[in-house]
Amino acid sequence: MLDRLPHWAEPVADYILHTGVKNTLIIAGTSVFLSLVVGVLLGTLLTIKFVPIRAAIRSYIEIWRGLPIIVTIFILFFGLPTLADELHIEALRLSEIKAAILGLSLWGSAQIAEATRGAVQSIPREQHEASAALGFGWVGRHVNVILPQALRRLLPPLVSLSVNVIQNSTLAQILGVPEILETAERGTERLSIPTVDPVTLEVEGGVDNHAFEIYGAVFVLFFLISFPLTRLAAFLERRLVV
Amino acid sequence: MTVLANFDWSYIWEHRDELRHGLRLTLEISAIGIAGAFAIGLTLGAARAHRIPVISQLAGIYVELIRNTPILVQIFLLFFGLPRLSEHLKFEPFTYAWLAVMIWGGAFNTENFRAGFEAVPARYHEAALALGFSRIRAFLNITLPIGFRISLPSTINTYVSVMKNTALLTAVAIPELTNTALDLLSTDFRTWEMLFVLAATYLALVWALSGLIRLLERRLALPEST
Repeated sequence: MLDRLPHWAEPVADYILHTGVKNTLIIAGTSVFLSLVVGVLLGTLLTIKFVPIRAAIRSYIEIWRGLPIIVTIFILFFGLPTLADELHIEALRLSEIKAAILGLSLWGSAQIAEATRGAVQSIPREQHEASAALGFGWVGRHVNVILPQALRRLLPPLVSLSVNVIQNSTLAQILGVPEILETAERGTERLSIPTVDPVTLEVEGGVDNHAFEIYGAVFVLFFLISFPLTRLAAFLERRLVV
Repeated sequence: MTVLANFDWSYIWEHRDELRHGLRLTLEISAIGIAGAFAIGLTLGAARAHRIPVISQLAGIYVELIRNTPILVQIFLLFFGLPRLSEHLKFEPFTYAWLAVMIWGGAFNTENFRAGFEAVPARYHEAALALGFSRIRAFLNITLPIGFRISLPSTINTYVSVMKNTALLTAVAIPELTNTALDLLSTDFRTWEMLFVLAATYLALVWALSGLIRLLERRLALPEST
């Protein structure tokens, strides 16, 4: 299919589809996974009555949901390395891609925590009481009885979150991670540099960087990824209401 | 912690003019974007809710296109793609900036207003028609005031997002707050001072707006829904 494209487009499309899509999926996949694990844990803890824990988790949610994600990513990418010198923890010197993944996960886990709290609280109190009567402790009660039911209700928000995380994974472009948008940007940059053919001495490129076609294609690509997922989220939501 | 001990308030104070200028640009772009998103959302939301032929379908396509693509890609398409398309589409960066956040907010707001208008019980509209109101009058006097109040929380959430999205304009070198702070950070390496300014300003703006939602929700809640 790629060889039907005009000659300038092939290397650009190849780079976007192989390097870009791969990195976007790595960023989005890891972030969704981390958001789910941390979010479900925090959201469940948010339902217990102990005030200091609740206050701590509340501030976590309000801060990471309140900040623009790009600012969170900057805090991780520029701020943490200064602490690395101080505390002698080299792991704080995050790579660009890790800063992006962590930033997205902080935001995503805050969203999931809020959704989990609602889902856990929507499980009838009798379920808690019955499992307590059967001898389950707090952890056993939640792991075996409450969360399996709550997770079903969490499915639609999780799918919407995945769409949001896939779209926001483009923020990694600002740090220069070669995900879809950055690979496209490099494509336009390469096309804006004129090249001289060593045999014919013909000058090629440099006139048009094809930014409209390339970013238009990226737009379509993201639409093709997101649209089925938003439909799925809407479908799940409808099915769960009934 | 030497990081905390080295925190230099006077550095922020010395650069207050640049930072204030950045904040002003952030607020200006946000204000135009929010006003535009309000107008787009209200018009297209009404068209969607009343299933006005052609406009309703076009609005639906617009909403799906914008909601299913990253805003950063939309920004790139506007800033770098449009000027390549035609000479007539060359504008100043500032124009593209508010256009980008406005188009994004408008799409989300269309959905908010559509949902709000559709939540107005059909019998109110029917009653208005029975009383001899024209369709336009019925919309302006009945559906609009009630639907507007129903959709208020979700529209304000969209405005908060519009404001937060202006931070992404740093990717195309619009000298708004984020861009200004990053510029200073990369010249003087006063990392935490600048990160603090960014975090504190955005959180203050976001929390103030969400506080406003809660206040409005309580004051404007419809009597029967409380």
